[in-house]
Amino acid sequence: MPGSGHSRFASLHDVELCAYSATGERRAFGELVRRHGSAVRGVLRRMGAQGAEADDVAQDAFLTAFERIAEFRGEGTFAAWVKKIAARLYLRRLQRDRKLGALTAEAIEDEPETPRGDADAAIDLEEALKVLSATERLCVTMCFGAGLSHTEAAEALNLPLGTVKSHVKRGLEKLRARLAPEDGAVLEGRRGNG
Amino acid sequence: MAELDFERRLERLFAELPELPDAVAFAERVERRLDRGWTARRWLIGAAGVVGGVIGASQLMVSNVFQRVETAEDSARFLSTSVSHLSTSADWMAALTSGGAVVWVAAGLAVIMMGFVLTRVIGEI
Repeated sequence: MPGSGHSRFASLHDVELCAYSATGERRAFGELVRRHGSAVRGVLRRMGAQGAEADDVAQDAFLTAFERIAEFRGEGTFAAWVKKIAARLYLRRLQRDRKLGALTAEAIEDEPETPRGDADAAIDLEEALKVLSATERLCVTMCFGAGLSHTEAAEALNLPLGTVKSHVKRGLEKLRARLAPEDGAVLEGRRGNG
Repeated sequence: MAELDFERRLERLFAELPELPDAVAFAERVERRLDRGWTARRWLIGAAGVVGGVIGASQLMVSNVFQRVETAEDSARFLSTSVSHLSTSADWMAALTSGGAVVWVAAGLAVIMMGFVLTRVIGEI
């Protein structure tokens, strides 16, 4: 029965749970899913996946992770590893549904208006990400949320590295304007002085 | 510097994901899918084993293996008689080969070995 044996693994570290999972212990892997499921689903939602779609991809990502758990060397965190798998699976799904091409083509001309943020207002990341174009959101979330390098993101998106870097840069500028307008003002001041 | 600070802050913001209210239900769904996959795999292995067993048994029947075993028994009996005629001191060999028991013991050992190997293979899968 799912959930049984939960307490047995609740006190263990992720690395120990991974070791148990590698021996086929599904309850141990379930504990990992309990711990990191929300984070993986959250990254997918920030990449632009809708609720049910994000959950489907997250489930597939965890199943893939279970199948490939022996490949996980513990060099990074388990959560970061699954996030990378999930991000790649989501992009593959977009490619399969022929949505990725449309998203990346939409890019530069069709950018939404960037509203200036109020430094005193508590604007969360979710809201801030909405001002980014779909491609910028994908690139920024893949690099900062899923932990992919620019090169890995470029390969996954099938875009030139320079294009991905541009999207990330533009996305960061918009986020900074939204989340830390005072930093933006400092930068503008520096540019003006330089 | 401000850019780096902002990027670090952004990484922290991305890492700070709130636990979703249905986190436990989500984990249970994944566990159920894992269990389903595992059960399906076991059924598949079992079915493959049954099919293999049926094919193996039918091949044994077709190749008249029981008749061959009887022939081997007769040969073993003949051999033991011959050996006992040759040397009276070789009583132990006659005991060993009497009644074709060796053939059946060897067959039993082979079956046990195959079972062991099969168990290991299933375990590895």
